[in-house]
Amino acid sequence: MIKIKELHKSFGPLEVLKGIDLHIKPGEVVVIIGPSGSGKSTLLRCINRLEETTSGTIIVDGYDINDTSTNINFIRSETGMVFQQFNLFPHMTALRNVTLGPVKVRKVSRTEANKIGMELLVRVGLEDKANAYPDQLSGGQKQRVAIARSLALNPKVMLFDEPTSALDPELVGEVLEVMKTLATDGMTMVVVSHEMGFAREVADRAIFMDDGVVVEENTPETFFMRPQNERTKAFLRMVL
Amino acid sequence: MGFQFKYSVVWESVPILLVGVKLTLLLTFFGLLIGFFLGTAAGLGKTSRSRILNKIAGFYIESIRGTPLMVQVMFIYFGLPMALNTRIPPLVAGAVAIALNSGAYIAEIVRGAIQSIDKGQTEAGRSIGLTRFQALLYVIWPQAFKRMIPPLGNQFIISLKDTSLLVVIGVGELTRTGQEIIAVNFRAFEVWTSVALIYLVMTLSLSKVLSFTEKKLEIRA
Ligand SMILES: Nc1ncnc2c1ncn2[C@@H]1O[C@H](COP(=O)(O)OP(=O)(O)OP(=O)(O)O)[C@@H](O)[C@H]1O
Ligand SMILES: [Mg+2]
Repeated sequence: MIKIKELHKSFGPLEVLKGIDLHIKPGEVVVIIGPSGSGKSTLLRCINRLEETTSGTIIVDGYDINDTSTNINFIRSETGMVFQQFNLFPHMTALRNVTLGPVKVRKVSRTEANKIGMELLVRVGLEDKANAYPDQLSGGQKQRVAIARSLALNPKVMLFDEPTSALDPELVGEVLEVMKTLATDGMTMVVVSHEMGFAREVADRAIFMDDGVVVEENTPETFFMRPQNERTKAFLRMVL
Repeated sequence: MGFQFKYSVVWESVPILLVGVKLTLLLTFFGLLIGFFLGTAAGLGKTSRSRILNKIAGFYIESIRGTPLMVQVMFIYFGLPMALNTRIPPLVAGAVAIALNSGAYIAEIVRGAIQSIDKGQTEAGRSIGLTRFQALLYVIWPQAFKRMIPPLGNQFIISLKDTSLLVVIGVGELTRTGQEIIAVNFRAFEVWTSVALIYLVMTLSLSKVLSFTEKKLEIRA
């Protein structure tokens, strides 16, 4: 589903990604952890080209995303992204947030879009908040609307960039629940998160990134119980 | 004998002044209408990634902001027609001057408002597959527009008052009408008082309308 080869990314003189190779199979759930500044967000943002790659190739669903003949808007619509800060559209109701993509990108009729939107809001447990504006929602509710907004385009892959780290602790669970259901339903997911419980329960693979490279990857069980690399061990000691 | 304020002069002048008010409002309306489109275009040009659009918009904004309105008016009415070997009706020249002038300031308002919207909004829009233009139209613009209203209102008031400068090209707006009345009755004090009060009524009404609009839009964050 995603094939990343020799990915390098620099911001000016600062090299943030120093040669990443990563293959993600359809239906796979991959959790990425690593210290702040290690390039986790940058990696995710390269996958849907919110950042231009400096060199290397990224193939998503068979399309080389940096190829000029690839319709990047189409690829983006097939690649959902959930942000740490939610980034809901504050001038639209929850339902409108969810239906904007179907209406403007998929050119679905308003009635049809509302139907899709309501189904998704039911799926994330927010059908009663359809007409609420983002500033009337809690953080957890906002993030669930944001997930529904991405799902509305029927993406093949979902990217999550620390989806729960801006939330109050008591609101983390409801978002993780939605993500777990998604994973169980077979969604391909790349999740940057330090939620070990989530990783161990639903991830197929855990990856440790440090200083722009993948230092270690393994099944969550082995990764958390018997980390091989010294840097991984040190980091896990710190966050667990 | 001391100076005596003659109220009768006011009552006689006001109906004539109102004819000038009509032109003042007309000039303000069309000037700002065109100015708004110009300003939006130039403001978007300033925020666009195209270097050429950036340069063109920058040149326009800087040359207007860096020269007096009076000179712009004279240039458009006396200067340009000479170079192009035509004549421009004063009213048209006046509206064009107000449009060009307000457009440059509105451009800065538009640019500022657009740039004040969090980058995450565009990114969220693009990540669901919206094109750059769609993200601007459906996500950024509605939010930016709300922030533009107070400074736009300010610019509207400035432009309304700026129309008085058009006396120099003989447009019969409010200020010019005042001058003409004085040429006949020599009652400068009463007439300028009336003129000033009429401007004040117009600007205060405009303020009211704008703050009402702002409140209406504020109901939704
Ligand atoms: N647009 C940018 N311009 C310049 N430098 C950037 C930019 N975006 C990120 N960086 C730098 O790239 C490095 C990696 O950033 P990135 O956000 O990918 O890290 P991260 O692993 O997601 O960290 P965190 O856990 O804090 O979110 C950091 O040093 C950051 O300062
Ligand atoms: Mg990050």
